[in-house]
Amino acid sequence: MKHLVRLGLAAAAAVALTGPSFAEFGATLNTVKERGALSCTGHNGSFPGMAEVDDKGNWKGFDIDLCRALATAIFGTAEGHLNIQSTSWEQRWPSLQSGELDVVIKASGWTMSRDTDTALQFSRPYMLAGIHYATHADNGAKTVKDLDGGTVCIQAGTTMERYVVEHSAANGYSMESVKYDTTEAAKAAFISGRCDAYIDWDLQLAVMRNTEAQDPESVVILPDVLSAEPVAIIMRQGDDQWVDINNWLLSVLIMAEENGVTSKNVDEMRNNPPNPAVATMLGVTPGVGTRLGLSDDWAYNVIKENGNYAEIWDRDVGKDSVYKVERSTNALIRDGGVLYPLVMD
Amino acid sequence: MTISATAASIRNARPRGSLGNRLRKRYFSTPVNTSISVVGLAIMAWVIWTAFEWAVLNAVWRSPDGTSQVCRGIDGACWAVINVRWRLILFGLFPFEEQWRSTIACIVIVVVAILSCVPVFWKPVRLAGLWVAGFALFYSFISGGIFDMPYVGPSEWGGLTLTVFFYAAGVLIGMPLAICLALMRRSELPVIAVTTGLFIDVVRSLPLVTILFTAALVLPFVLPSFLIGDKIWRVIIGFALFFAVYQAEIIRSGIQSLPKGQEEAAKALGLSYWQRTTRIILPQAFRRALPPTINQFVITFKETALIVIIGFFDVLASGKAAFGSGEWSFAWVEVYCFVAMIYFVFVFSLSRYGVYLEHRLRVGKL
Repeated sequence: MKHLVRLGLAAAAAVALTGPSFAEFGATLNTVKERGALSCTGHNGSFPGMAEVDDKGNWKGFDIDLCRALATAIFGTAEGHLNIQSTSWEQRWPSLQSGELDVVIKASGWTMSRDTDTALQFSRPYMLAGIHYATHADNGAKTVKDLDGGTVCIQAGTTMERYVVEHSAANGYSMESVKYDTTEAAKAAFISGRCDAYIDWDLQLAVMRNTEAQDPESVVILPDVLSAEPVAIIMRQGDDQWVDINNWLLSVLIMAEENGVTSKNVDEMRNNPPNPAVATMLGVTPGVGTRLGLSDDWAYNVIKENGNYAEIWDRDVGKDSVYKVERSTNALIRDGGVLYPLVMD
Repeated sequence: MTISATAASIRNARPRGSLGNRLRKRYFSTPVNTSISVVGLAIMAWVIWTAFEWAVLNAVWRSPDGTSQVCRGIDGACWAVINVRWRLILFGLFPFEEQWRSTIACIVIVVVAILSCVPVFWKPVRLAGLWVAGFALFYSFISGGIFDMPYVGPSEWGGLTLTVFFYAAGVLIGMPLAICLALMRRSELPVIAVTTGLFIDVVRSLPLVTILFTAALVLPFVLPSFLIGDKIWRVIIGFALFFAVYQAEIIRSGIQSLPKGQEEAAKALGLSYWQRTTRIILPQAFRRALPPTINQFVITFKETALIVIIGFFDVLASGKAAFGSGEWSFAWVEVYCFVAMIYFVFVFSLSRYGVYLEHRLRVGKL
């Protein structure tokens, strides 16, 4: 049945995606403005930390906040100008191509086939999804080498299997994979002690550690990074203005963090900019908006309403959330991470 | 001896007497039987007790602060997740303050469905009137835009209401379509019969997800813009089509099981085609095809869960969203149990109604 489902979806997707349709320059922004709302991705269920639903049926999460920031950049506020469309994984690309979605912000990695075959355009990555092992604290393991000869619980048919094989071969240790059909089953098996380790994206490991394990202290996430998937915003190919808007939106969030501009002090900063770059960013020196087809205060609005990158991170996945994920790779370069703003001149 | 006489003699051979006597004769007549019964009872008792312990004795029922702290380190079920998140499961993404509208809309559909099961309404005109009124009422409540009720678009409909609406609309469009297809396949004109047969076989050979996926995502590429409509209607029509081709074959089997004399006698009486079909053939065909029809209805109800693949928040998807937050991600078993119970209530009622119908129509007792 599962194969039948996949086959059917592949066939439908093939029909949907033959003859890639390229968007025209400026078309997306015009459509969004005419509609009066941005159409952005939610989930058909939930993806903890990135897109989840609160007790009152409202969307929240890191990806949702980026949708909100994008809507704010265009309309000055996201309130009433954002349609979150619940979207399944399979549905992402066809929905984007058909124009039902303006943008896909859905924990999706930048891969070559997506980039070249399906007429999709990627923004700069906004997050690196680091792949780590989690293990039981009483194993005493400190690095992957200590797991040599042990077992790892994996969801079958995912890229995680490949990461385990490649990383163990390259680093001279061996692990036996125990495969399960679903993530829930693999996690449950690890928690019950069936395996020595469990492998996943660090955000998902943090979810498991802080909310599913009986005692968070009993699970350790090993520091070794097996691989990292660059997660980016995805658009239709061909509309360079729309790509610029998304890239500069991400850049502004990071730049605001680097310059200490937060939702709380942004008014102060605008009245008294500490350097010319911040003055340009917040629209004191004109030009930041018109070049993108937006108003000059778009970056100010985004930060005022949503906060900078660090505020969004802390709120949705970091220290103010239940997940408590460390910034690590996703910190600014000056803090040892890989995030940097583009140059604003 | 006829079959019913044999059955009667088997019934008569059953042990008689007091309850204790009958139990002893049936389950404890020999040492082997006794030991099998004891082991079986022990296993059953253990399973029931374990489930009871988990679901009732060790369970946590509510969370005073709305968080999952109360469920840390307990051995039983954490029903607090239902207590906190039930509105999400039942209504999906429907705006919180407006959820009373979703409740009324859902009740309207269920009540109309129940009413149309009552024999008083079994007249085409009454049934049609009932459902048109039902859908109009449903639509004005859930969609709003009148009487100070703000508009809520189909992309925000969700939960149980969406499942029930989707099912009712699919079956209601699908059923007349199925009758047409069944009659057309039995047409005396080869062109119509062969084309319909081909159509049924083609649609039947496609997986339902493909049809839904195509209706939701591929059709907008090929249809002219005035025909596109909202996604939910395209998907409902695709779903109805899929239901119709299966149901058409069930009805056809009912028609073909009738003795040829029925139709010939009607013809001899001078009845027209429509009189023969609606008064003689279809009522008998439906009666004979009742068990597989109920079967198809039950299967179709469960198939509604597939709309999650195109991003609709049906009751199963909202269930997934309910445990899909950092606070509740450990409580998926409880949420799945709750959703399973909802499905059970609907499907079981449907099955029992089928049994009632079979009694009333004396199916299998000719």
